[in-house]
Amino acid sequence: MSVDLPTRIDELSTASEECAYEKVGFHQRHTIDASVLIDLARAFFEAGYVLEMITCQDLRAETQKMLLVYSFNRLESVDRQLLHLAIDPDTEQAPTLSMIYSGANWFEREVYDMYGVRFSDHPELERILLPEDADFFALRKDFGRMDEASAGGDEAEEGDDD
Amino acid sequence: MTNPPRELSPSTEGELYTLNMGPQHPSMHGVLRLVLQLRGEQIVNAKPVIGYSHRAHEKMAENRSALQFLPNSSRIDYLSGMIYNLGYCQAVEKILQIEVPDRAVHIRIIAAELNRISSHLLWFGTFLLDLGGITPFLYSFDDREQILDILDSVTGSRLTYCYGRFGGVTRDVDDEFLERSTAFIKLLRTRLLMYKRLVTDNVILRERCIGVGVISKDTAFRFDVTGPSLRASGVAYDVRKAEPYGGYDRFDFEVPTEEDGDTMSRFHVRIREIEQSCRLIEQAIASMPEGDILPKKMPKRFQIPKGEFYFACESARGHFGIYMVGDGSDIPFKMKLRTPSFSNLSAMPETLRGTMLADTIAIVGGIDIVMPEIDR
Repeated sequence: MSVDLPTRIDELSTASEECAYEKVGFHQRHTIDASVLIDLARAFFEAGYVLEMITCQDLRAETQKMLLVYSFNRLESVDRQLLHLAIDPDTEQAPTLSMIYSGANWFEREVYDMYGVRFSDHPELERILLPEDADFFALRKDFGRMDEASAGGDEAEEGDDD
Repeated sequence: MTNPPRELSPSTEGELYTLNMGPQHPSMHGVLRLVLQLRGEQIVNAKPVIGYSHRAHEKMAENRSALQFLPNSSRIDYLSGMIYNLGYCQAVEKILQIEVPDRAVHIRIIAAELNRISSHLLWFGTFLLDLGGITPFLYSFDDREQILDILDSVTGSRLTYCYGRFGGVTRDVDDEFLERSTAFIKLLRTRLLMYKRLVTDNVILRERCIGVGVISKDTAFRFDVTGPSLRASGVAYDVRKAEPYGGYDRFDFEVPTEEDGDTMSRFHVRIREIEQSCRLIEQAIASMPEGDILPKKMPKRFQIPKGEFYFACESARGHFGIYMVGDGSDIPFKMKLRTPSFSNLSAMPETLRGTMLADTIAIVGGIDIVMPEIDR
């Protein structure tokens, strides 16, 4: 490893923020561009960080973008680093991390499944939890609420299916 | 002890064919479907198909207040529901900075560790049943039934507990609960000795597990495999130690690890974890303080402040993470449940490649997945 991780993060991220771990559960948060994601993920990989999760926030109401959230952590001593990457799901794609972190394959499939964000060069970008023929992205805010169907008067749908 | 991975020469003769295993297969845990590409009896490719028990927990979380979501939490994973229920409470407590009284901390540890033992015992029984041994199943379910009775006496449920409240627990435990727990731990220790003679040293089990389904450190790292499956690969990562929560740092326990990463190692790790859970319960009972089980001052409404939060806890299967985004209202803007079985199962295609079809059950059973937790 030629350059240490904090230096590399400083080089690549647009903005970084120290966070109070005791309160929020992570140490730092970085805002990045899609173009540096792979380089940054590789730096995390080489420094021995695991990719804990990839998820997304539907911020289209405010910023017209989806916000991808990546969480990296070190197993030996906790150091949780969040990456924020804003993507317009209609015109842009995020690069896949599945060739670095194999676990990203399923995480990215889930984000695609639920939010409709596409990942370029993903080996099998298919639905994972929802049916293959679904024509919706369920966790988008404009998909609606869980209880709207029952509010329309259909009593039968009110029960929990657990 | 070193168990070299079993080397199989890849078969190149004969044509490829596809076999569906599940979602209604008696030895598949829950509704997992594996699409296997086979050449002869050797697996060339395995593709897990999941989502059959998707119940939209994350969507539900965005549509109800944090408090209303509480009963959902134990339904995520019905075999260690207590850990998920308490984990969710601990996440909200961390966000809202609610202090938990000491007595509730001890009660929670006893309840969570009893639940962890019951989850491991269920795995122990069903895993061996899958491999063809019926007797251990009958014994382990007998033990597990006692845990369910003990927890039932205080929580009112057998599986999908809703025992935690933000700040503590719903009901105080009485002396009878503590005595029954102590007596159970004593009994379980004698049972574990019997299991060792009956099962662990059994030559058939060893033949079917040693060197089978090896997850290397590198594979575990790339897929973020956690829990006993990671510890069997020699990495001593346990959220209870790495990021102590819920008072675990006040107690003395070890993180058992094995080096080989095969199914036998995962078996050993879980059995040794049961012993550690017993130790934790004994310590929590011995030093049980008197006092309240809920804080005296509680906020009237549980409003998630603006911002994002991450909380991790150690379930029976690994790192369970809750990522929550608040917008200042009662209802979370977003909740992501990072469940351990999801990542553990995603490592299966790589682990299964090149193994024999007959070993599939031992390998998939060995990582102890719970489908509703994967599908959420």
